[in-house]
Amino acid sequence: MNAIVSIRDVVKEYQLGTTVVQALRGVSLEVQKGEFLSIAGPSGSGKTTLLNLIGCVDTATRGVVEVAGKDTAKLSERELTDLRLNTIGFIFQSFNLVSVLTLFQNVEFPLLLQRKLGAKERRDKVMQLLEQVGLHTHAKHRPSELSGGQRQRVAVARALVTDPLLVLADEPTANLDSTTGNQIIDLMKTLNQQKGTTFIFSTHDHKVMQHANAVIRLADGKVLERVSAREAVEHALSLGEAPQAEARA
Amino acid sequence: MTIFDPMMWLIAFRSLFQHRIRTSLLGGAIAVVTALLVALAGIYVGMKETLLVSATTLMSGHVNVAGFYKSTASSSSPVVTQYKQLMEIVRRDVKDLDYVVQRGRGWAKLISDSGSMQVGIGGIDIANEPGFLKVVNLKSGSLDDLKRPDGLLLFEEQAKKLDVKVGDRLTFSAPTYKGTNNTIDVTVVAIAGNIGMLSSWNTFMNDQGLRKLYQLNDETTGALQIYLKDLSKLRPVQEGLRKSFAEAGFELLDNDPRPFWMKFDGVNRESWTGQKLDITNWEDETAFVQWFVTILTVAATTLIFVLTVIIGVGIMNVMWISIRERTREIGTLRAVGMQRRSVLAMFVTEGFLLGLMGTGLGVLIGGALTAALNAAAIQLPKGAQLVLMSEKLIVTPTPGWIVFAIGFITGAITLISIIPSFRAARLKPVTAMSHVG
Ligand SMILES: Nc1ncnc2c1ncn2[C@@H]1O[C@H](COP(=O)(O)OP(=O)(O)OP(=O)(O)O)[C@@H](O)[C@H]1O
Ligand SMILES: [Mg+2]
Repeated sequence: MNAIVSIRDVVKEYQLGTTVVQALRGVSLEVQKGEFLSIAGPSGSGKTTLLNLIGCVDTATRGVVEVAGKDTAKLSERELTDLRLNTIGFIFQSFNLVSVLTLFQNVEFPLLLQRKLGAKERRDKVMQLLEQVGLHTHAKHRPSELSGGQRQRVAVARALVTDPLLVLADEPTANLDSTTGNQIIDLMKTLNQQKGTTFIFSTHDHKVMQHANAVIRLADGKVLERVSAREAVEHALSLGEAPQAEARA
Repeated sequence: MTIFDPMMWLIAFRSLFQHRIRTSLLGGAIAVVTALLVALAGIYVGMKETLLVSATTLMSGHVNVAGFYKSTASSSSPVVTQYKQLMEIVRRDVKDLDYVVQRGRGWAKLISDSGSMQVGIGGIDIANEPGFLKVVNLKSGSLDDLKRPDGLLLFEEQAKKLDVKVGDRLTFSAPTYKGTNNTIDVTVVAIAGNIGMLSSWNTFMNDQGLRKLYQLNDETTGALQIYLKDLSKLRPVQEGLRKSFAEAGFELLDNDPRPFWMKFDGVNRESWTGQKLDITNWEDETAFVQWFVTILTVAATTLIFVLTVIIGVGIMNVMWISIRERTREIGTLRAVGMQRRSVLAMFVTEGFLLGLMGTGLGVLIGGALTAALNAAAIQLPKGAQLVLMSEKLIVTPTPGWIVFAIGFITGAITLISIIPSFRAARLKPVTAMSHVG
């Protein structure tokens, strides 16, 4: 069994006053270990909702969500939290670093929650990751002293510090310019190849999409198809978007 | 992550620091309440101690051995015969004894050139009363001159009424216990600052002089005033003395916790004659002023309570705001893997830290306030002077009260912070993260 995420017939409904909004209408999909998978789709198609369910920060209305072989519906709040801590890393669109902590402390935080490593081991681990994202010289800075791209690199380091099996990123580049966005995706890709960490990220930018092994196309709360990155980019371009000079196939 | 992780404290401390203005306002409010509590407690303790020292030194001792001598069934004198033997027993049997003195009691007419007044007289053996010098605030003359058999100490109020000064001669006139009237001449050797209601009706004179006025022998006095090293031993000492005196053949009145001057009627109605002893303590003898301390305590407690509630509501509101502002951060931390109870602990730590810093500051302010009040030597209002037997406000800070102030207020703040923190911890991570504002 190599599926790290397995979703079957998942429905997610939101109650908006008296009306019920179906954000996901029967989604099924499997993600294999080591994948670098993109979730694409127009605004409102359910990308964030899907990632939240996989990330165990929200629960499905119906259907089965299995992460790392565990049926998340059967876990207690405490067990879900432990699953998030030990198995999943998060990269957020708006970075979500703790403003009162230094970069070092932000990255160290999940390790403190885990209580597995001693101070020296934690230090080595954090510094190694900060070096990998190119910010070891800024370890004592606060997030407010950094650019958006730098902050997102810290977030990448924080997501990876616990060596999670799975990293989820909801539009990690949406708040960055395209060059910086590309650097973040390159960084994620490198870590994916070096460590074999599974990445699932959402985007509606085809330049970002093209780095993925595969793309899940969502529309209107449903999976349209699972395609290769090339096909996904071609599809996006066929919708009338002009090809960009720096776009690589 | 638990409260034992330095990171928890770091986040709490830095979050407080990040919102410096809000933290200063809240911490300031907490500090003010703490300072008030410390100062009020100091005033309370100061008053109680002043009262204790004044009352015990001037009037009763810690334990008081007095009594009545009745030559006939219906005429009683507030005297103790054979006091020297009693003193021996006290010195022998009271383990916690600091010292013991004898004090004569009298009630006589004091006559000057320009007027007269009825006063009480304490017959004092000044050489053996080290505490007396500390309590009495001498304005003119010399306490040492009370060693003269005709030496008399007046309080300012009395001196003014009689229009006399140090060196002036006056006359005491009193009925002796044998039924005849006697007079003696006395000289004002000292004038002291007023000490509460005592200064309106009581004077002090040389104990030999007082015996001469009443034609008493050397073995007779008004009461023994016993001073203990440990005040918590009052009851056992009283019990022990009752036994010792009874064994030595002395008769005793039943235990009656009232001041001696309220007992004449009862004693006169009883049929016995001769000497009976009466053992009381300072609280019995000064029961009529204790109510003041009680009212003071109740008032201070109410004030503190109301202030704490007001501050508590304020803190709760600010905590709500603070937590609402940080909802996204909470969501992030929960998503990253922080347990609910850790989130709760994180905010409670913040409340605790705020409380600790606020009360710490408050204790400093309270200490400064106490020092300032003492330095200012504030004149007490007349009414308070009367019951407290002190002219000046004395504030005595005690470690116990300071620890209590810190513990009580910090505890209250921490408890209050639990409620909003609990709500924050229960939020779904996704709800918290999508929170705007
Ligand atoms: N908390 C919520 N309450 C009600 N409706 C919601 C909520 N969250 C999402 N929705 C609805 O669910 C649908 C899917 O939303 P979702 O955020 O998953 O889309 P998305 O693909 O991430 O869009 P975007 O590209 O704009 O981020 C939308 O119609 C949205 O309005
Ligand atoms: Mg979205």
